[in-house]
Amino acid sequence: MRALIIDDSAVMRKVVERALQQSGIDLTEVVQAANGEEALEALKADAASPEKLRLIVSDINMPVMDGLQFLEARRDQNLAPGVPVVMITTEGSEPVVLRAIAAGAKGYICKPFTPEQVKARVVPLLEAV
Amino acid sequence: MSLTIDHLDWIGRLDSTVSEVFEMMLARSCAPTESANAPAQPVSARIQFSGAIAGEFVLFASRPVAQITAEALLGSVSDPNDPMVEDAMGELCNMIAGGWKTKLEAEAAACAISPPMISNPESIGTLSNDGFGRFYSFEGNVFGVQMIF
Repeated sequence: MRALIIDDSAVMRKVVERALQQSGIDLTEVVQAANGEEALEALKADAASPEKLRLIVSDINMPVMDGLQFLEARRDQNLAPGVPVVMITTEGSEPVVLRAIAAGAKGYICKPFTPEQVKARVVPLLEAV
Repeated sequence: MSLTIDHLDWIGRLDSTVSEVFEMMLARSCAPTESANAPAQPVSARIQFSGAIAGEFVLFASRPVAQITAEALLGSVSDPNDPMVEDAMGELCNMIAGGWKTKLEAEAAACAISPPMISNPESIGTLSNDGFGRFYSFEGNVFGVQMIF
């Protein structure tokens, strides 16, 4: 399956990709974005792709366009509406979590995290689609 | 600057956060170490706090220790000049600063943190007196964390 990983840290994109693979998720392609703006472009390009994205994983604290702004723009532009978005972030305060959920996030994982936590939150979302 | 009860509590929460980040993300044990020599030509990552806590959170290590840290986080070998080394330091700083903020009481945690910035200063002296700081060690590799108000 294809997944979009959004994080301004290339290291963290690799770490998240490894955690998804350790969760037993068969990734055929990982599309990478360093911020929300790049992610929106990736979603627009995905509309023309024969194999659609099935999962979006996003950080929140990023320059240019943060993860919350990305969620809200994605919702407003109706981009990839059926694709589950899981936030993986250091930002664990309740107002931020609630804003993310209100903007369409289906899962929320705080850094630091274990592969087991990623599996527990992500796999059920993929099975439910 | 003398340490207040709040600061002592915050240091305890910092120790706990650093330990958690290393256990969960690097599969390494990491604990405070009492003293250390300031590294020459360190790699440092900085995050700005604004709001209830205003200041700068700094993570610093020598380049060899930064490289070992990056390898532990990535699970693969890196070159000392690989930009991933600095990226890893930034992300580690982000996780420690964010994790520490999450552990604070609600009143103190009402603050925003910036994305990490990387710098390579000629040197970092002893831990700043304008706040608090700690040295930590994992497998004999020492790095420093300080919060400057």
